[in-house]
Amino acid sequence: MNKISRSEQKQLLNRAPLFDDGFHSLRSAPKLPRTMIKEARKVVAIARKFTETVIRPYALELDRTIQQDPDFLPWEFIKKANEWGFYSMWIPKIFGGKGYSIPTLALFLEETSRECLAMSNLIGVHYLGVGTLFATWNIRLINEILTDVANGEKTGEPVLISLAHTEPGAGTDLEETELMDQGTITCRADRVPGGIKINGTKVFISSGHMSKWHMTTCFEDPERPSSSAVIAAVKTGSEGFSFGRKERKMGQKGCPASELIFKDCFVPDDYVAADFNQLKTLKRDITPSVSQLIDYIVATSRAGVAAWGVGAARGALEDALAFAMETEVGGKLLVNHEWVQIRLAEMHKNVSLARLSYIETNYANGLEGMFKIIQFKPVYYMLKTTPHWAVERFIAPFLSRSLTTRVFRYLQMDRQTDDQIARTTGWASLAKVSGTDAGICNCHLALEIMGQAGLRQDRRTEKILRDAKLLQIYEGTNQLNRLNVFKSLVGRNIPEIKLFAHE
Amino acid sequence: MIKRSEVKEWMAHEPAFDDIMCSLRSAPRIPRTMISETRKVVAMARKFNNEVVRPYTLELDRTIQQDPEFLPWEFVKQANQRGFYSLVIPKIVGGKGYNFPAMSHFLEEVGTECLAMSNLIGVHYLGATTLLATWNMKLINEIIRQTAEGEKTNDPSLITLAITEPAAGTDVEEVSLLDKANITFNARREQGGYVLNGTKVFISNGHLSKWHVVIGYEDQSRPSETMLVVVVKTGTKGFSFGRKERKMGQKGCPASELIFKECFVPDEHVVFDSRHSAKLKRPPRETGRQIIEYVVSVSRAAVGAWGVGAARGALENAMQFAMETHVDGKLLINHEWVQCRLAEMYKTMALARLAYMENNYANGLDGAFKILQLKPLYYLMKILPASMIDKFITPTLGLPFTTWLFRKLQMDWQKDEQIHRTTGWGSLAKVSGTDAGIRNCQMALEIMGQAGLRHDRRVEKILRDSKLLQIYEGTNQLNRLNIFESFLASHHSRIKVYEHE
Amino acid sequence: MIAVKDKELKMLDKAASEFAKKQLAPEREENDKFPFGPFFDDVLAKAFELDFFHIILPESLDGMNQGMAALSVILDNLCREDSSLGGIVFTNSAAQQVMLEAGATDLLADIVSAESINDFLIAFPVFNNPAEVPHLAEATPDGNGFTLSGKLEYMVLGGISGHCLVPAKIAGQDGYSYFLVNTKDNNVTVSDPVLSLGLRACPAVDIDFNNSKAALVGNQGEGDTYFTKMADRLHAAAAAMAAGVMKGSFNEAFSYSKERFQGGQAIINWSEMKMMLSNMAIAIENADMILATAVSAVDNQFPGWERSSRAAALQIQASACELTTDGIQALGGVGYMKDFGQEKRFRDAKHIQALLGIAPMKRIKYIEALLK
Repeated sequence: MNKISRSEQKQLLNRAPLFDDGFHSLRSAPKLPRTMIKEARKVVAIARKFTETVIRPYALELDRTIQQDPDFLPWEFIKKANEWGFYSMWIPKIFGGKGYSIPTLALFLEETSRECLAMSNLIGVHYLGVGTLFATWNIRLINEILTDVANGEKTGEPVLISLAHTEPGAGTDLEETELMDQGTITCRADRVPGGIKINGTKVFISSGHMSKWHMTTCFEDPERPSSSAVIAAVKTGSEGFSFGRKERKMGQKGCPASELIFKDCFVPDDYVAADFNQLKTLKRDITPSVSQLIDYIVATSRAGVAAWGVGAARGALEDALAFAMETEVGGKLLVNHEWVQIRLAEMHKNVSLARLSYIETNYANGLEGMFKIIQFKPVYYMLKTTPHWAVERFIAPFLSRSLTTRVFRYLQMDRQTDDQIARTTGWASLAKVSGTDAGICNCHLALEIMGQAGLRQDRRTEKILRDAKLLQIYEGTNQLNRLNVFKSLVGRNIPEIKLFAHE
Repeated sequence: MIKRSEVKEWMAHEPAFDDIMCSLRSAPRIPRTMISETRKVVAMARKFNNEVVRPYTLELDRTIQQDPEFLPWEFVKQANQRGFYSLVIPKIVGGKGYNFPAMSHFLEEVGTECLAMSNLIGVHYLGATTLLATWNMKLINEIIRQTAEGEKTNDPSLITLAITEPAAGTDVEEVSLLDKANITFNARREQGGYVLNGTKVFISNGHLSKWHVVIGYEDQSRPSETMLVVVVKTGTKGFSFGRKERKMGQKGCPASELIFKECFVPDEHVVFDSRHSAKLKRPPRETGRQIIEYVVSVSRAAVGAWGVGAARGALENAMQFAMETHVDGKLLINHEWVQCRLAEMYKTMALARLAYMENNYANGLDGAFKILQLKPLYYLMKILPASMIDKFITPTLGLPFTTWLFRKLQMDWQKDEQIHRTTGWGSLAKVSGTDAGIRNCQMALEIMGQAGLRHDRRVEKILRDSKLLQIYEGTNQLNRLNIFESFLASHHSRIKVYEHE
Repeated sequence: MIAVKDKELKMLDKAASEFAKKQLAPEREENDKFPFGPFFDDVLAKAFELDFFHIILPESLDGMNQGMAALSVILDNLCREDSSLGGIVFTNSAAQQVMLEAGATDLLADIVSAESINDFLIAFPVFNNPAEVPHLAEATPDGNGFTLSGKLEYMVLGGISGHCLVPAKIAGQDGYSYFLVNTKDNNVTVSDPVLSLGLRACPAVDIDFNNSKAALVGNQGEGDTYFTKMADRLHAAAAAMAAGVMKGSFNEAFSYSKERFQGGQAIINWSEMKMMLSNMAIAIENADMILATAVSAVDNQFPGWERSSRAAALQIQASACELTTDGIQALGGVGYMKDFGQEKRFRDAKHIQALLGIAPMKRIKYIEALLK
């Protein structure tokens, strides 16, 4: 009665909801390198130590400083983080980094952001730049820039990478290729001998003022941006590149949101990470390739943003708990009032669920997305065990060959199926919405419990609320991310369904 | 950057790393074939849905609205024929030996089509789990083996858990509240056994079950220290069924009253009592708590899965409706606000699923499934043919030594923090899943308008069915307090839970 | 909605609305910088001229002798543009009301005859129900009056007003009493303004008394009675503040949604945006209806007016927190920046929810009142 043939099973499981859409942790289990849990413990321990010794003592002061002097830049902190090696910690060893497994970055971001979202951003946003670079699979350029980052840690001169994407007239529009062509996009790239010239303005660029490299998106034909996107690496100090204003934000004040101005800024061909000429060699058409590239970026970056949401949610919970443990109301400790216990439990639930969602996203990225190759057990262990000199001698020279880029692009781009793209980007949006909503929800609950104490900056929670609100907006507003959850996971492969269908 | 000893120390800080990373901790220990087994179980459930559950759902609900006394024997027999009552029962006690966590996925799948029918299967495992939680291997073997036999002879042998009393619901779920409870059920010690008097109510599947795992108390004034677990068979003298509740939903699954009048239970049917607990490390009250926590750590994952099933059912029906309905000249599904809401429903459902999965990982690492999922044992059970098991392993189950060994491993060796972790995740999964169910039903009904109100569109039934999930296995409020106690309060002596002036 | 029929209220409505648009809106971002920017003394002085601080004072004290309807109309309008001024008006009114409830008209007469706004203002810990705080300042009898010692957290307007109204315990007695303390001489130590979530130009300080001379307000031990009576009334006004913030946030989001283009259209054409704005508009309409009923109940002393007033506040304040988060969301990135005031309204809404005590505790008290 229970006999089910192989083909029948396959057919039943490929019916919506697809089995594979929902079981990343279990599917990952046999493939995960055994030492990943150990690494995770170590990374979390490092994060906790750094948080206690560096972040916590400085969090309120930094926020206050920038309220007083909005133009202040937190160079001191960046240097500290650089000394601790955080800017190359999750860069693979072959590119000179420390090679920690990338999913542990999200755990690190949660831990640090529990005390200060701004400082956690000052570390995490760098990996948004790194992720963008990776998404192009331009191995030669990846190698060059990331080696620069690693050297910066040795010399004590921080080398950070930003992603310069948002424009004054286009935020949401730039996160979706389906919207790009209807948008008001102005950052253009003109072909000139030996390279391109960029003209335009980018805004809200996190860590902009503090970064040395800017992964800049621009468009050869701003009328048809989705099929003419260019990703170029621009170095601070280049001719025609300058910083504009620094935004006055409600929160995350410690992490600058910068305006970047490009006026006839020349970028040589070697620093064009991806463009039409490179992408046209791929299997997919140009627009889907651009879309795939963006999905690679957001599938990882949104897990990071979700982790920040969880950090904020945890910070609010921990503050509220501490407050409730030291405050008496109506003759008994607040924490012993049941309504407080139930709210704290609800906050804990929000934290836990949201955390699971970003962890699941990272499983998906490991199975079918950006971390696939690097978590492939043989590669993983080889990189763990090969000594540094051997990497330098035998592997590094291959990285600048165009064949290497071709191989990687074949493996990671051509071989990635549409289902896999949908799963990774869909889960990332799901995690992003879950994490950031949890952050805001918990801040509200905490502030309600804390009454007037919650209003004071020196009790921390009001700062968390200000900081966390940004998370619902950047990396695609939560509304856009919900639409992406719909597109990728709910209404996938259904021909009747149209997205962004406005008459 | 950091020393080994430091890592350990930072990991113990709150939130303790082990509390929050169950899936990653599990990864290296999870047997490789669990994923293929899980695929198979989900496929079975989907097939069963197609052939049996979906065609019968609305009819069963309607039948019982017409005739409240109707009992769904037909369905129970079909489930029995397909072997679902011994699906995740270990092979050593005659079952099919699929891994236990797969049951949650099975229940979710069936729950998307009908919560009542999913309960008709799942509640049986609540009874079985209660037996398991006492680690009385002899009785576990005896009673559960009958279920497997019953599948071969087409005579369903279901097990219930009888714990709730007319005046004590939440109170009996939480040992801290037990001593303040109004307990009326009485177990009197007599020569060679116990005599039961009193009533149990809201017992799911009561009327349909052959065995009832009954929780009683020797001393009603000190129930937390004198808890006992016995099994009573339908037909025993002094045992009878009372009324069947008229419920808002889950109508297909009867909630029964069980009446005990001078009902004698011989010692060989006593699963656990003070004589057993005297041999354990923990004091009786703590042992009682540990048994309850074992049960709810498992059962609440199942309730969480039902919540997810309900949430999915609501989503799928709303989606279906939106795909076939035109509003303002375009398909409802192509309105963005609908897409955003469906996405939100998907998110709510997906997160709740992660919660019960994490709960199961925790049970595998630190709780009820620990031994079964130990790789060597797991593979041994896979490979050994049934005949070998019956010949060499089963006979040992009757030995007192076996029960002693299992109790040592699973009870004495289980640490308090492991109890906290498993029961905490149980509550977290239960609250998340069941709230997701209700929330999605409400959102679906908003999208569907008048169509949502009709019985034949299914969603109003899902709403009625799923409301019960927020109530049984401990109300969601009680479960929130348990989350608080398990994860947040256990490190702080100044915090008191369940304290009223 | 409150000001639909009544002529006098209509005039107040217009005056407050014009004042808010001309005096508050243009300098909103600047005024919000306090304590890191200058305090808006001149705006405060202008509001003083317009009698915004005299609404609930009786005619015998040269007041307008108006009720919660009038106060709500003012606060609603002010808070649309900048709740800080609303917070100042509210705090001062709360202090005045406590003194009126206590029958301390003589003490109050002295204060309200002041020429300058600063001498006129009374600081008051308006974000707290003193009955819930275990450690109050302590008062000791001293000749005809009392002396006050101890610390009080979060005294609103503490740094800018001539007097403060302080809840304190008299040793050996149950309950607490209110005392009026002149902040000028008098061994009163005031901290720097406490950097806070919202209402930045309605500053609060931590304050220390060290044998400070204090005058008893009303009777000994009756503090909680006065506070409760005041809070019964003023909750309606707190609701009005939340409603004002909601309107400001909606107006901004609504006009922005017509100007911002994404996906080739004004974002108002996205149905999800319509849904969001619609939810906001509906919440505002409901808030208005609730508020109108509540203030009318208070001013006419309908049976159960206390409940109406408190229920209005709890409902509208929670609703404002929900609405203002969407208010930012509708503007995306720029909503988060200082430019449009949306981020300020988000902070202010949460801040306003904490007026007169811990919000969930107020909900619990609400049902307990019904139990009695």
